[in-house]
Amino acid sequence: MPTVNPFKKRVVITGAGAVSPYGAGSHLLAENMLEGKSSVTFNGELAAYPEMTSHVSSTVPNDLDFSYIPRHFRRSMSKMSLYAAAAVKEALNKAGYETVPEGTALFLGSTISSMETWVNFSDKYKKRELETVKTTVVFQVMNHSPLANVAQAFDIKGPGFGNSCACATGLVNIGMAYQFIASGLIDKALCGGTDEYHPIMTACFAIMNAASSRYNDAPQKASRPFDEGRCGIVCSEGCGMLFIESLESALKRNAEIYGEILGFGTNTETKSISHPSTECITECMKLALKNASLSAQDIDMINAHATGTAAGDAEESKAIAAVFGSNKHVNSLKGHIGHTMAASGSLELIAMLDMMSKNRIAPTLNLDNIDPECAGIKHILQPADLKINAFLKNSFALGGTNCSLIVRRYE
Amino acid sequence: MTREEIVKTVNEALCKEFELSPSAMKPEANFFADLGLDSLDAVDMVIVLEQAFKTKLRTNYEVGKIMTLNDLYDYIENLTKEAAKK
Repeated sequence: MPTVNPFKKRVVITGAGAVSPYGAGSHLLAENMLEGKSSVTFNGELAAYPEMTSHVSSTVPNDLDFSYIPRHFRRSMSKMSLYAAAAVKEALNKAGYETVPEGTALFLGSTISSMETWVNFSDKYKKRELETVKTTVVFQVMNHSPLANVAQAFDIKGPGFGNSCACATGLVNIGMAYQFIASGLIDKALCGGTDEYHPIMTACFAIMNAASSRYNDAPQKASRPFDEGRCGIVCSEGCGMLFIESLESALKRNAEIYGEILGFGTNTETKSISHPSTECITECMKLALKNASLSAQDIDMINAHATGTAAGDAEESKAIAAVFGSNKHVNSLKGHIGHTMAASGSLELIAMLDMMSKNRIAPTLNLDNIDPECAGIKHILQPADLKINAFLKNSFALGGTNCSLIVRRYE
Repeated sequence: MTREEIVKTVNEALCKEFELSPSAMKPEANFFADLGLDSLDAVDMVIVLEQAFKTKLRTNYEVGKIMTLNDLYDYIENLTKEAAKK
């Protein structure tokens, strides 16, 4: 495979950190996915609403301890910032740092700010109890709350970008960080996405008939991308963060390299605000290939965005077939953990990096019967011993943002 | 309310809210220099105390002059005495 970066600098991944429904720790993702474990559970709070069609969610264990984060920083953090702080700490440590090196940029966003904090704030406003609202609430409801909180907690003085593009947020932030490093504007970055679950999130998708509703009695079957019986997404939460830097920087300090980012493509769907079209996804993946100076033949597999919605999975399948044909392996990891929203791009990328290093790739969980609308591509149906040298990861968003990132094994 | 009850109520409320060690709650302790609080904490402290003592504090100008725990105990003691007179 040729050296492919259209810019001057090569960009490598030297650290990863994650908080997911499996718990805190990036290793938990691939481990649990390869064992076929679903993190989706019945949600009694959803079931208490008669009009709510979906009664399932996938949430981070509520016994995680964040007390090691000093109170001075923790006081203004909602759950999404706590997750992000834990993921950043792990990513830094994996990269060989105790503290954030000088000049590191931070690219971090969420779909929306803390819904739980907003709901509580709104409740007090309606009850005319504003005098009981603490000062730190505002720092939990700002659009760039996780960015601000993480920067404060880790003393990150470099550039900070709180890109927020709904469910594409995590991958957009990685792609942006990659481009900044590749072009020489910065040398190191922490990048990813974070989100916290609230029942209103499920309600948003239920209103659009896009929340999983037929498997309320069998939650672990509820998230089923590409399957004939899929009926919508399972909302989830978490945070995935990468530490990335120029290859030059990584080699200079003899850092372990988990993968190399080769290219990034992004575009905007304007045919529909709710789901991407085959044409737009096709163009997006082609943009990533062009950015990487690669052809479709250079890619071994596609880690799909596929969320389990009727329209989205079908459109993505057709686009993958159009660009890559029928011989490239395809999986979606949302069958295991649901849709972690802003974190999905980064968490799934971290899982894929781990699986690539293990030469063992998880299938799409609950893909029992491939929907004819999603046929024509090579779905991974069982855990597979595969040596993947390069893969393309997709992330798409409500509102029209599409993005694709290409990563290869560093050797 | 006795002075001892005021001290106990204040210390418990502030230790819980600001995760302070009870051993740090010395009467001469300055909120900023000794207990590590800042301007945001100062506002939140008033909210916490209003809830603990079920009375309004923030409308009183004198609140801004309180610098130590002892200042705070004195202030609340005076408030309770004033309230008792009424």
